[in-house]
Amino acid sequence: MTDVTDELMEFLRTKSFLDDTVLLDTTDSLTERGIIDSIGLIEFVDFIQDRYAIEIPGEYLTPENFDTLNGITNLISQLSK
Amino acid sequence: MNETVNLCRRCVLHSAMPGVNIDHESGLCQFCRDPSEISPQERIEAHKDMDALLHHTRGSGQFDVIYALSGGKDSSYGLYRIKQEHPDLRIRAILFDNGFISPQAIRNARTICDVAGAEFLRLTVQEEFLNRAFRNAAQSHDVYPDAARLRASDICNTCISIVKQKLMEAAVVSGAPHIMFAFTPGQTRSPVIRLSPAFMRWSRSLFEAQLKKMGIADDDEIFLLKKDVIGREEQNGARYMIHPLLAWDYDESTILRILGDIGWVPPGLRDKNSTNCLLNSFTIFNHIQKYGFHPYACEIAGLVRCGTMSREDGLEKLKSGVSIPLVKDIAEKLALSPEFAP
Repeated sequence: MTDVTDELMEFLRTKSFLDDTVLLDTTDSLTERGIIDSIGLIEFVDFIQDRYAIEIPGEYLTPENFDTLNGITNLISQLSK
Repeated sequence: MNETVNLCRRCVLHSAMPGVNIDHESGLCQFCRDPSEISPQERIEAHKDMDALLHHTRGSGQFDVIYALSGGKDSSYGLYRIKQEHPDLRIRAILFDNGFISPQAIRNARTICDVAGAEFLRLTVQEEFLNRAFRNAAQSHDVYPDAARLRASDICNTCISIVKQKLMEAAVVSGAPHIMFAFTPGQTRSPVIRLSPAFMRWSRSLFEAQLKKMGIADDDEIFLLKKDVIGREEQNGARYMIHPLLAWDYDESTILRILGDIGWVPPGLRDKNSTNCLLNSFTIFNHIQKYGFHPYACEIAGLVRCGTMSREDGLEKLKSGVSIPLVKDIAEKLALSPEFAP
């Protein structure tokens, strides 16, 4: 996993209800696995914007970009350039 | 439950709740080890940002704000205060009457709209269709993700999702750039959320899937944000969902005192966790019966972490029982089988 993915995973473990014992794959759907709901998603977006000093345009907020750790990591990489 | 091991030393969360990890050494849950609730400084910043946003972004139609009003203490106070701070805002306050709002809460909502100077709209949907959704939510175990289930009961998640969908719809239709919800600092950490069309579409598809999972096909879009309305939104850009209670000091006793002065009357629901909805006692009973923890625990834990509620008061609220006659009455009204009542 990349550093960014590790940081995202750490956020989910400390700021959401992702149990220490739950194994999460980077391609798992965060909403389908029950890890974030719509409010959690908004908090996650806030964290990412602050932490990586990027602004996520509204049109990027789609399940394709934002529902897996892989998708989010790619999005951060793309927007950080 | 062994309190010294399982209950967080600072807030009210306990290790029997899914996803809550109590550190053996510190005795703190993961949220108390690294708190991220809005700080007093962040609250001041949020207040400035909210004021600027409300000052600069006005509606293209009849309203500037679509406000979610339940007639309970938080939303009533929020409406009164926002109009005190921004008297020129044109606000439509929508009360979603789910069929279980207490008559006093409805009177309170009307009173606050009169006092504050907001337009009052009571939104209703077909009773049997709504009751079927509540009944199916009460019977379900896996409709909502763990994260949502930790924030609220399945019935409350259903109700609030409908309100969100219909208020987004009302904002688009009326050209109002802002939607306001009086969520407390324990319920969310984000004072302002940008509502892009993509987010609205995603939010709609998540709720549609949840409704389907509970056996509800909302083909007529009675609960869901109408697709053709989102289509219109594509042309108009983003709107904002604002949670004003996160921009102000939140203190329950002050809120109740101010409300008392302007004619808001406590509804006397025999329920320490609600000042508007008669379903509440049942939803608490149902949630504890299904999942083994109180649906208000996370919100109260957040308020304790923010310092707006003492841990003792929080624990007391969680220990306070529900009204058994009210629970039985609601179970009967929802036509639930006897195992769903005490």
